[in-house]
Amino acid sequence: MKTLYENYFKQGISKNPILDVMSHIPMFENLAPSELKEVARLTHEREYKKDEHVFKKLAPAEGMYFIIKGDIEILDPDSGTVFVNLSDGDFFGELALLDEEPRSASAIAKSSSKLGGFFRSDLLTLMSRDPKLGNKIMMDLSRVLGERLRQTNKDLAKLS
Amino acid sequence: MDSVNKIYRLFLLVIVGGLAWNVLPILASVIIMLVFSFLFTTIFLQSVDVLERKIHSRTGSVFLILGGTLTGIILFIGGFISNLEVQVKEFTTKLQEKDFAISLESLSNQSKNILPDFISNLIPETEKLIQLTKESLGSIFQNILSILGIAGGLFFVSVMVFIFTIILLIEYHDFKRSLVRFIPNKYLEIGLRTIYNIEQQISKYLKGQILAASSVALLSIIGLFILNQFGANMTLVVFIGIIAGLANLIPMVGPFVGMVPAILIALMNNLGNEPALAHQLFGVVPSPFYVFDIVFMFIIVQQIDNNFITPILVGESVGLHPMAVMIVLMIGGILIGPMGMLFAIPAAGVMKVIISEMIFVSKNSHLL
Repeated sequence: MKTLYENYFKQGISKNPILDVMSHIPMFENLAPSELKEVARLTHEREYKKDEHVFKKLAPAEGMYFIIKGDIEILDPDSGTVFVNLSDGDFFGELALLDEEPRSASAIAKSSSKLGGFFRSDLLTLMSRDPKLGNKIMMDLSRVLGERLRQTNKDLAKLS
Repeated sequence: MDSVNKIYRLFLLVIVGGLAWNVLPILASVIIMLVFSFLFTTIFLQSVDVLERKIHSRTGSVFLILGGTLTGIILFIGGFISNLEVQVKEFTTKLQEKDFAISLESLSNQSKNILPDFISNLIPETEKLIQLTKESLGSIFQNILSILGIAGGLFFVSVMVFIFTIILLIEYHDFKRSLVRFIPNKYLEIGLRTIYNIEQQISKYLKGQILAASSVALLSIIGLFILNQFGANMTLVVFIGIIAGLANLIPMVGPFVGMVPAILIALMNNLGNEPALAHQLFGVVPSPFYVFDIVFMFIIVQQIDNNFITPILVGESVGLHPMAVMIVLMIGGILIGPMGMLFAIPAAGVMKVIISEMIFVSKNSHLL
């Protein structure tokens, strides 16, 4: 049944690279195809050259990015610590959808990259125009952040 | 080298400024049309987005919402014109009756009795007054023809604004995304924040203004109904109220414009009516044809609007100091007249957002 559903109803999604990436991001994976298209319409596609900053540490944070194609390094420029290397289908900066705190790390393109951006202003617009869809995204975002917190607690417990 | 660069930039600025100074007047009408279309788009965007999700057709939802609004406007104007036609016919019949001359004579005598001598001497004799009024009425009807010419131009502008609004509403999200594509990567997030803040500023201002205009319309209708209870004999009350509410959108001048149709209707309806001619406001101040009652009522409505409704609904949305609001209104009025006054406050709000973001960027350029 799932195959039939995916073959027919998710066919449109796989044709569009942005929709394809978005449908695998935990924050959007519970959305119906029509809802996903609605959200995708609000995203912005950007291209970054190798070694170009996506954002710098302490810069004003306005939203999250997902990698359509390319490699992104998340690092602390002060200590030089690389937190994580991300590639196709990964996402980062999602905390900025919730608060207005500055970026806690820098993000640099390690190769020529194509990113999709979903920003707080778009989420706020969506929440005022379609509260049901907005709440759905918020719930999934909270779930992602909760999982991250749980993982951090586990890592801290291991260290101590 | 640096000074050469500065001179070059200054030279470029002078050329661009000169070009803009010459080209802007030609493009002014198109720009005004686009600004109007953008404002209408902001008003209807939310409802179009909501309807689109229900009927799954953007074009369909745009046409349904704009069509519905347009039908409402046509019904309102049609209703107003047909009612006004009846009113004008009655007034024309009155003009042809002898009562008209008698009431003018009576008004003239009454005002002479009320006013001090030195002012009374300034008022022309009754025959002259009647002649003057008849001539004025004649010229008013001649002016109607030139007004019709202006209405033709206004119709063209309205059609163009309507078309621009349809296109903007259908393409709004794609149009916005195309605009964002021009923002360099390092300014992307700041740029999006600026666009969002501008959208919010305009949207809040418009919603506030629409609510304030509706409140003024409602209060005016209630006020006119109350005046009717005291024998003001006002007709077209709902239309007058709506016109007063709409006129209220133009700051400072609007409220006075809103009074005019009410006073005209009072004059038309009460001409030849002796008790109306002898009416006194609060039994003290002479108020022939309830004119001062109407002015007093509109002043009360304005006070309620200025002190309670507008500060709550509109004032906070723009976040400008009242003194700044007045200066901005004067600048708008001097530059492009009443239209300038209409756009002055939201334009100042947008400028405020842009300037604050520019200051932020200049202070935090190392972070971008």
